[in-house]
Amino acid sequence: MRRKVVSAMLLLSMMAGLFAGCGSSTSESTGGNTGTAKEEGTEASDSSDDAGDEVTLTVLAGQSTTDAGIEDMIDEALAEKYPEVTLEWECVDWGNDFQPKMQQYMQSGLPDIMIGKAQDVATYAPLGVLGTIDDTYLDKGLDAARENVTIDGSTYGLVYNALYQGVYYNKTMFKENGWEIPKTMDDLQKIIDDCNAKGITPFASHMVDTWSIGNVTMQFMMNDVFNHTPDWGDQFRDGKVSFSEDKNMQTAYQYNKLIFDNTFPETFSTEQTDCDAKMVLGEAAMKVSGSWSIQNFLDIDENFDFGIFPFPNQTGDSKLIFEPNITVMTSAATKHQDAIDKVLDVLTSDTELATEIYDYTKTASMLKDVSPTFENPSQEDIDKYAASGDIVDVTLGNNQLVWGGFQEENAKYIASWLQGEISFEDALKASDDRVGASKAN
Amino acid sequence: MKEKRYLGMEKKLARQYFILIVPGFLIFTVGLIIPLFLSFRYSLTDWDGMSANMKFIGLKNYIDLFHDKEFIESWWFTVKFTIGNTIIQNICALLFAVALDSGIKAQKFYRAAFFIPCLISAVIVGFVWLKMYSNVLPAINQWLGTNFNFMLFGNAKTVLGGLLIANNWQWIGYWMLIYLAGLQSVPAELYEAARVDGAGPVKRFFHVTIPMLAPAITICVVGITTGSLKVYDLLISSTKGGPGRASTSIIYQTYTTAINGRQYGYGSAMTVTLVLMLLLVALIQVKGLKNKEVQA
Repeated sequence: MRRKVVSAMLLLSMMAGLFAGCGSSTSESTGGNTGTAKEEGTEASDSSDDAGDEVTLTVLAGQSTTDAGIEDMIDEALAEKYPEVTLEWECVDWGNDFQPKMQQYMQSGLPDIMIGKAQDVATYAPLGVLGTIDDTYLDKGLDAARENVTIDGSTYGLVYNALYQGVYYNKTMFKENGWEIPKTMDDLQKIIDDCNAKGITPFASHMVDTWSIGNVTMQFMMNDVFNHTPDWGDQFRDGKVSFSEDKNMQTAYQYNKLIFDNTFPETFSTEQTDCDAKMVLGEAAMKVSGSWSIQNFLDIDENFDFGIFPFPNQTGDSKLIFEPNITVMTSAATKHQDAIDKVLDVLTSDTELATEIYDYTKTASMLKDVSPTFENPSQEDIDKYAASGDIVDVTLGNNQLVWGGFQEENAKYIASWLQGEISFEDALKASDDRVGASKAN
Repeated sequence: MKEKRYLGMEKKLARQYFILIVPGFLIFTVGLIIPLFLSFRYSLTDWDGMSANMKFIGLKNYIDLFHDKEFIESWWFTVKFTIGNTIIQNICALLFAVALDSGIKAQKFYRAAFFIPCLISAVIVGFVWLKMYSNVLPAINQWLGTNFNFMLFGNAKTVLGGLLIANNWQWIGYWMLIYLAGLQSVPAELYEAARVDGAGPVKRFFHVTIPMLAPAITICVVGITTGSLKVYDLLISSTKGGPGRASTSIIYQTYTTAINGRQYGYGSAMTVTLVLMLLLVALIQVKGLKNKEVQA
């Protein structure tokens, strides 16, 4: 009898849990998404209560490798100007943990502030969970910063800094060997051949980090595919183009093989820090990478002389890649809009803080009239490409073919292909098969 | 009268037992049973984990699993990893335990040395072995002038071996302690009697030690198997499921599908298959091994 009672209770609690879970999941999701617009009005009236009161804002910061530590700088600047506002930080790795955390918070309620990348706006804004950013703060940023964080006329992200991506090269090595900046693949091949003839490893790479394969592949895609077909991703979903049939896309994938054949044999066991160290120590001539490597380069040797050029494409008109990085987003359902505005004010008007952050992260400014003061040997090259308009925003590609679930997974297949585990055709087909996951919404 | 008092006492005891199990029962239900049922419920939907839309699609996710090459490959890796671990860890742990039980010198030192790695987080272990294979061992290679290939994590063909070494390095000491405790509880008279009957060391090992260790073997085999089937944290810091997909375990695949790939419903279906597999494996092993257990 007792056993029966306990069994019945166990069963009942399971059923109750099931029904409770089912019921709540729908209502919570609805509340988390569609409820935001409705709640916004309520919160707007609540927000006036913030003035003068002590407020703690929750912040989810999806950081790049360069960003860890900027939270202390922001805290310090905020405490000076608005001591009544404090930030409760949750710092996670953007690549691995930002999306899972957001997914979790979509169910339980978003933090007041989220820091991610510009491409996150395209993922979350259509769900109605992000608040718009006031023009007061947006106007302090560069116009170029708005483009990819604006949806249907509303801007949901404040882009704070930018990374540049391309081929970092050892200037001294280039000078000593008489190599010119390559514009075409033939030019690049000549440098590679000369490197090999002289026993120099042409490319430094760290393919143990699958993200690096995904990152360089998007660089290749930007110059060989998106620069000529800006809506390639949309066409892909419409079934008009595919990885298996598009020759340009195949060429972009094939560049990975070029790198793999001309890099360290231990690339699949080499991490970024080791790789950057080898580059600085002159063990390789070039590295397809982004500004995140600068921090390592200069930490290892502050006198390391390097430059950057875009990875050449088939048509010889490749552009340097620009990526809006730290992007501040706010919750549409926040109860502390006034306090959030104070944080945005500090971020956009405290030039000392901005300079400190840019110098620390070794990244470019996206604020008007603020420039980093650190010595960036590649700045000369960046300025040159900027002056000639040969810079392209990678968010175009990232918004159409999302990182999580698509680019990231494709990179694994590219790695398998490079290792000889699958054929090139299989790698392309795997990308085609994943079409359903290519866009966030 | 006596019977009435007995029944009253029994009721009182039952109430006490019930009160005692309530906390555990609640935690178990809230923490395990309800999520399990929710997971099953999500597995019948096409939910992406974020939006409000959650369409019921019946068993479609389960049917799709059978055609999903990545899912099958991740299971295949997990099975190979599990079999490798179960064999190597059990044999090595048992042999080390026997060696330590034989009265060798510095027994306590060895016991501690073998046990320490299991106190380290698997994430750290993964990182340590990544550095070991890519920096430390190649440096030793260079120093000795040898040419061994230590880049085990860097190749799809050797990554399983590399992970088995890392995982066994971490856990052998733990299971060794369980075997050691089992060995120390085997009555000395049994060995004495076997010796009188003319049994040599090998016969004594197979006819006395092994049967008497059967309960410990059950614990170790089930523990190692279920632990290996759930491998995830070791991979995160070492191979990240690669090179390519060569070391993607079923949990890793489930996580990337459900969270990064925004296919929560489909990922939940993967979870349900894993739970069923864990239950099945544990059940078969416990049933099978229990039959072989003997009492002293």
